[in-house]
This record gives sequence, structure tokens and C-alpha cells, in this order.
Amino acid sequence: MRPGLRASVTATFALGALLLSVALSVGTYVSARQLLVEQRERTALRQAYADAALVRDGLATAGTSVSEALGAVAPPAGASMHVYRRGQWFSSTLDQSGEALTAGVRPTVDEGSASLAWTDRTDPHAVVVGIPLPSVDAQYFEIAVADELQATLHTLALALAVGAALTTLAGAALGRTASGRLLSPLREVSRAATDISAGDLHRRLAGSDDPDLSVLVDSFNHMVDDLHDRIERDARFAADVSHELRTPLTTLTTSLALLQRARDLSPQSQRAVGLMADELARFRRALEDLLALGRLEAGIDESALSPTAVDDLVRHALATGGAEGLDVRSDGSGAQVLVDRPQMVRALVNLVRNAELHGGGLASVRTEVRGDHVDITVRDTGPGVPPDERERIFERFARAGGTKVGTGSGLGLSIVAETVRRHGGTVRCAGADGGGAEFVVRLPLSRPEVDR
Amino acid sequence: MTTRVLVLEDDIGLRTSLRLVLEDDDYEVEEAGDAETALRLVEERDIEIMLVDLMLGGVDGFTFIRRARPLTDAPIVVISARDGVQDIVSALEAGADDYVSKPFDVTEVQARLRALLRRPALAQAASSPDQQPDAPHAGEVFVLDSGAGPLVFDRAAAHLRRGEREIHLTMTEYKLLTVLSENAGRVLSRAALLDHVWDRGFFGDERIVDVHVRRLRKKLELDPAEPRTLVTVRGLGYRLDAR
Repeated sequence: MRPGLRASVTATFALGALLLSVALSVGTYVSARQLLVEQRERTALRQAYADAALVRDGLATAGTSVSEALGAVAPPAGASMHVYRRGQWFSSTLDQSGEALTAGVRPTVDEGSASLAWTDRTDPHAVVVGIPLPSVDAQYFEIAVADELQATLHTLALALAVGAALTTLAGAALGRTASGRLLSPLREVSRAATDISAGDLHRRLAGSDDPDLSVLVDSFNHMVDDLHDRIERDARFAADVSHELRTPLTTLTTSLALLQRARDLSPQSQRAVGLMADELARFRRALEDLLALGRLEAGIDESALSPTAVDDLVRHALATGGAEGLDVRSDGSGAQVLVDRPQMVRALVNLVRNAELHGGGLASVRTEVRGDHVDITVRDTGPGVPPDERERIFERFARAGGTKVGTGSGLGLSIVAETVRRHGGTVRCAGADGGGAEFVVRLPLSRPEVDR
Repeated sequence: MTTRVLVLEDDIGLRTSLRLVLEDDDYEVEEAGDAETALRLVEERDIEIMLVDLMLGGVDGFTFIRRARPLTDAPIVVISARDGVQDIVSALEAGADDYVSKPFDVTEVQARLRALLRRPALAQAASSPDQQPDAPHAGEVFVLDSGAGPLVFDRAAAHLRRGEREIHLTMTEYKLLTVLSENAGRVLSRAALLDHVWDRGFFGDERIVDVHVRRLRKKLELDPAEPRTLVTVRGLGYRLDAR
């Protein structure tokens, strides 16, 4: 998985801080080390010259042995003095390593010049200074262990490393904070987008003073405006088309009614007229469904709502749907709902017709009061609706099983869903016991004191 | 006896098909494609009932209804593709008696025409004035008190008088007042009124009743906003109170 934007920004900040602090630390260390080393070499050289002068003076005094001359000089702490005279080594310490330790400087000293070098044969490293003493036919060497230099460099390195680590952490924290601030408008955008896709087309982002953000806010709001316009235009188009079809369709059905009355038609013509009548009826249902959806989309007219007995609604829907003989099991009769009657009746009729058309016939209708709402359950005797299609069948032009059967407009159930939703209720499809489909319309009960 | 019907519809196809069907029903059909022609026909011919489309080129259907109302009491059925609540209420308030929205079944239009043309039983009795002298409602005369002197509703003669002044009622207003006065003192639900006066079924559009009650109140009441005779019973319907 790709890391998130925030993680990337944080990592980039941390890496930047790390590189910067490492570069600075290394630079600091290198120059400080060079400075300290040079200083140490100067000190060693100065000390060695001073000590060499004392040894030379000692040796110049007749009868003085090398050991005596060395013993007369007090070497600085951590330093040892060595003298090479006539093929023999003398040392201020018991340690007889002078020959080995001074190997780096001896060739130059042999040529008659003073020399300085570092040796890594001691721990810590030591600075070795060699000075020829031609007047007494000797060579003077001083070996100073640079332990204080080593300690200083260690401390410096540690301090720089800790500093670099802290800088890196600070960089990461800064990156996280900065990206958080950068991302918070994005989170707002994402919340708005979620609201909009949930159907709230009036949601907009609040304006911003930030010139960088206002571009995003403006273009986002502009996009939603466009979307809103387009959806409205589409809906209006459908409504306009349906509207324009009303009069010609009425002319057709009216003329056909006249033809149907004619008694002198041949049997063939009668069949043709019958076919036309069936198709026109279907066309008319589709048009009425489209118009009903258009009206629903325009919103519920509050003044059209009236308190209505649920049982009356159901009875009327059954009568209109051609199933008045069916017994309605009513649990909690007298329950009232606040509805636009023609709209709600149409929705229930659609459920009844759906059961007849696609569900193998209506099995039962039940009304049940539960708490502050009422459930109207319509069952059919058909094959039922597969669970994965139980939401999809409420979409426009969706048909169970993807097959085109019957003479419905394909809008019936979406009108049910839209009508119920506009009345603050829900509708769902479930499987009935013993096969068949079950549609449950749940409507909020109206409070009894509500007057029209 | 044939009934003379006026069809005001600017779509020639629908107008012609309506003419054919109505002529088949033994109506005498007058056609108009615009409001001016229709108004002339209303003035010149004895039009008994009208089918009126609302969306017309030139003067629209609402204006036609308002102008035709003072000229005739003939019932007006609106046939319109506009079925928004506001359009329906406006048409009814302008003076229409009923409406059918497109696309309609012509049998529904025929049923509306029949319902609106049907005379109330009492008005038919007017042809034999000696009938039923001891009817339960003290004859065909009904006296209402609206706070501005007694209103006398003579059902048999289809007269509504305040003193010497006759108050004009349309056919539908007359039928509504007849039904209400026959049930004076009793609450009539909107559905019952719709059924009695308009022959509409179970859940007809009850706004028709409300608009007609408003129209009737303007003629009966001293202050239509504070009705004393034709009162609303909240949640139930309307009641006419006799003096």
C-alpha cells in the first residue's frame, strides 16, 4: 500500500532534517577536529623544542650520560622522551618502545630536520616529534599521548549525533503538524463530498480567506453548482418531455375509445384496436409514473398532507389495484398517518400491482402498529427476490433477475421508495416465510392532535 | 334533449377527438381553439357545460373562466396538463367546477360531465310544486342567518335571497348548498360532499370541496373569514347551521 500523503510529508521533513543535521554535524566535526589536532601538534612541538633544548644542554655538559640528561628534564604528563645516540636508545620511561614508535619521523630526523607525525601504535594515538641534536650527536624524540584530544573529539561526536537525532525528530514533528494543517481543508472537502453524494446537493464549502485554499473552495463549489444544475436539467427534461406527451396521448386514448365503441369493425380490426388499447394503457401508465416521479422530485406539498387512517389507505389501494377481495390483517386499527393521500395510495397500489405482475400474485397484506410507526406488509406468492437484488429493485428501470417481464413501466417500486421516503418513512424488501417476497412500508404515525 | 357542450382546447387533435366522442354521446358540441372565440360562443349560444384547457395561446384558461363566470352558470370542467396544486386551486377559484388532468380516460370526462349536469332531486321537484307539502325540512324554503339579515334559500326555485336581492349561485354552488341544507346541523365530511355533489370516489381531490365552500361563503356570510353559517368542523368537515 502506498503511504498516505501525511506519512509522506512527515517522512520527507524527517529525512530533510536528518540530511541537514548530519551534513552540519560532519562539517562541524571535521573542522573542529582539524583545529584541535593542529593545536595539539603546535603544543607538542613547542614542548618538544623546549625539552630538546634542555636535553641538549645536559648532554653538552661533559661527563653527563644520556640517562642523567633525560632524568634532569621533567616531561609533561602523558609524554615520554627518547634519545638516540650512537646506535643506542635511551628513554625516560621503562618502556623501550621508542624505536618502534618513532619510525615515522626518523628518516626526516636522520636528514637533519625536525619532524612531527602521528602514530597509531599507542592507544589513544600519540603525536611524535623528532628533533636532531647535531651539536651533541644525538636525536631527540618526544611522544605525547593525545588522550585529552581523543576525549574531546568523542564528546563532540556524541553531542553532534544527539543533536542530529533531535533535529530529525523535530523535523518529523514539524512535518506532521504542517501536513495536518494542510490536510484539514481536504478533510472538510471530503466530508462535503460525502454529504453531496448522499443527496444533499445544497451543501457547499464555507468560503476561505486563504488565497491558496479559496481556489480549491471556489472550484469545488462551482463543481457542485454545475452538478446540481445538470441533475435539475435532466429532471426537468424528463418532466418536460412527459408533459409534452400528455395532450397527444390523450388524443390517442380518446380516439381509440371511439373506435372501441364501433360495432362494424371486422374481427381483425377489433384485435388491432385491442392491441392498441393495451399498448396505450401501458404507455399511459409509464407516462403517469414519470409524471408522478417528477412531482415527487419537486417535493411534498405540506398543504396536501392530511391525517388518514392506514386501513382506509390500504383498502383503497387494494380496490384500485384490483384486489378488493383480499383480507387485510390489521393490528392496531385506527392508526393514522399524515400523508398526501393520492400519492400514498398510488405507492401502495404500485406494491399491489408489483405483487400481481412480478410476484405471482398477492398473498397477504398486514398493517401493524409498532411504537411510533406503522408497518404495512405486502406479501406475494412468487419466487421471492434474491438478497443481493433487494435494494436494487427500488432503482429506476431495475427488474428482478434482470429480465424484462410484464407490462410495468419499471418505475413502480422507485415511486414507492420515493413516496415513502418523502413521507419520512422507509420501505424494504425481504423474503417471506415459505418463499415469496415481502415488502414492508414503514410510516411514522401522525400525532392524534394534528388537525388538517 | 341534447346538451350543448363547449370544448375550449387549442390542440386541434384532442379537440376533434373529444368532439367525436361527445357527439357519439349525443352532445351538441361547440369547439373553440382560443378564449376569445369561446367567450363569443358563451354569449351567443346557450352553452350548458364546458370543457376548458388552461394553457392556450393568447388569453389563458384561467382568464377565460373568470370572464365566462359572470355570463353563465354552466359548469366548467378543466382539462389540463397542469396538475400542480396551485393551478388546480387557481382554476377552481376562478370559477371552475371540477377538473381532470391529462392524460385522462375519456370515460372519466364523460362521468364528470354527467355528474355536473345531474340536477339535484329537489330542483326536479320544482316542476311539480304541490308535491310533498309536509317534507321534513319544512318545504323547500330554508332560512339561514348569516348576521346580515335572514337569507332565504328556496331549493325548489333554486333561489337564494337576502331581502329582495337575489344572490346568484352557480349550478355546483346550488348543489352544494342543497346537500348542506338537507343535512343542516350535521357535519358532512369532505369525502361525503365530494361524493354527493361531484360523484367522486373514495379519495377524490378534497380541495375541490374547500374551494367551493370558500366560494359559497363569499355569498352567504357577512364576513367569509369568520363564517357563522357554513362552519368548518376541524378534522371532520363542514356544517351548515340553520337559524
